[in-house]
Amino acid sequence: MGDSSASYIHMVHHLIEECLVFNMSKEECMEALFKHADIKPIITSTVWNELEKENKEFFEGYASRREQRASDMEMKRRIQNMLSNSSIRDTKE
Amino acid sequence: MLAVSPLRNTGNDGKQGEKENNFSISPEEFPDFGEGNLLESIDFDDLFVGINDGDVLPDLEMDQEILAGDFPVSGGEESEMNNSFMSEKAEVDSSRSQEGEDKVLGLGCVNSTSNKGDEIMSGSDEAETKLKSLPNKEAYKTRKSSAAQAKNNNQGKRKVKVDWTPDLHRRFVQAVEQLGVDKAVPSRILEIMGIDCLTRHNIASHLQKYRSHRKHLLAREAEAAGWSQKRQMYGGGGGGKRDISPWLAPTMGFPPITPMHHQFRPLHVWGHPSMDQSLMHMWPKYLAHSPPPPPPPPTTWAHPPPPDPSFWHHHQRVSNGLTPGTPYFQHPLPLTRFPAPPVTGIPPPHAMYKVDHGIPATVTEQSGPHPLVDFHPSKESIDAAIGDVLLKPWLPLPLGLKPPSIDSVMGELQRHGIPEIPPSLA
Repeated sequence: MGDSSASYIHMVHHLIEECLVFNMSKEECMEALFKHADIKPIITSTVWNELEKENKEFFEGYASRREQRASDMEMKRRIQNMLSNSSIRDTKE
Repeated sequence: MLAVSPLRNTGNDGKQGEKENNFSISPEEFPDFGEGNLLESIDFDDLFVGINDGDVLPDLEMDQEILAGDFPVSGGEESEMNNSFMSEKAEVDSSRSQEGEDKVLGLGCVNSTSNKGDEIMSGSDEAETKLKSLPNKEAYKTRKSSAAQAKNNNQGKRKVKVDWTPDLHRRFVQAVEQLGVDKAVPSRILEIMGIDCLTRHNIASHLQKYRSHRKHLLAREAEAAGWSQKRQMYGGGGGGKRDISPWLAPTMGFPPITPMHHQFRPLHVWGHPSMDQSLMHMWPKYLAHSPPPPPPPPTTWAHPPPPDPSFWHHHQRVSNGLTPGTPYFQHPLPLTRFPAPPVTGIPPPHAMYKVDHGIPATVTEQSGPHPLVDFHPSKESIDAAIGDVLLKPWLPLPLGLKPPSIDSVMGELQRHGIPEIPPSLA
């Protein structure tokens, strides 16, 4: 009983780490694990929370990196827009 | 350049004569040289003769009280002041202040080590005391930064050298992000960060560097994005994707992935907590500066590989015949992403990350998976990764985080009405 719980939790932990590699959010992770591994979101969420408690530093960095990346993506989008706009303008002229 | 002259006392008279010192050092002012106090007998001032050039500590800020302290430091080009430990403090002080702040710290520290007398230490503050254990030039920089940080920042004279640790930088980035990169004002950043040891000036210069770095980063990415967009226009969907890789090819001399897997088993030591901490700490700074996209796993096994770092590409082409489950997509990756994987013989991530910036923007529309940069990893790659974990539970954890407490997980689940796991109901 206890052993299977422990190994189950370990598996969920492993799966969550995979999601972290994909830079997913907690919600995305819950959804993915449910869809692909049939794991109840509440279980994913609980294990995620506990992981976060044990690895506070990592998760703080993770969150800020995600934010950073979001703003970087936004910046990139804007730059791309600018570039495409300017190229449109160039072709017009 | 500098010659340490051990056992100076033996040569003192002669030296003094040569240097035309207008003082004399009586032997009793020196500690016992003969009996093993060689350290004290070394004239550390000699080490700093060349420092008068001012090239060693350009931006060192001196505490007023240190300047006022009794440091019988030699300041002249000649080493004639070398001997002026006790007797000529006044001269030294004036000469020292003439020379500026640069050398005093180090010199003061040195003199405190030279143990020529208690007076040396009389004017020094704790910072100096701390530093006296580092008598040589190599420790100069360490002393400089530690002393600089120990000192009060409210000098206003010069900026204190701040050590931008990954953690500090992360807070800085957070503060900047909060304010908005363009709107981030040093004084506000300082407020948000709430760290006493930083001055507005520190923040301002760091902000400048950060902004220029970001611009450089984004410009490069945009340029690469524009470039790869063109490529895709010409080459069509799949062809265009592939064409991108050759551009990356020269940078990659990657070993075959499959053998790497075998190497990863022993590397599971990365699961060790202390390792993890240091590696994790590397992330924020590293990623904050240049978000490195790790090579993504193949979207499907039969599918042509995504146009990401070429080593992926090579191996994708070579190993299309691999059966699913071969662990060459996700598990090796995270380990390779760490900035210091010498064990695996993988070239430092910098090489491929720098090259790879532009890809994700366009890849997003095409094939998707670019975990750390692309916010929308493809379903297939996630499914593949998850499937692999389910099939092979023995594989090492990609990040090696500290596992959660089983008891608290179970307790929490029971609170939510789940008595046991795996749940008997699907």
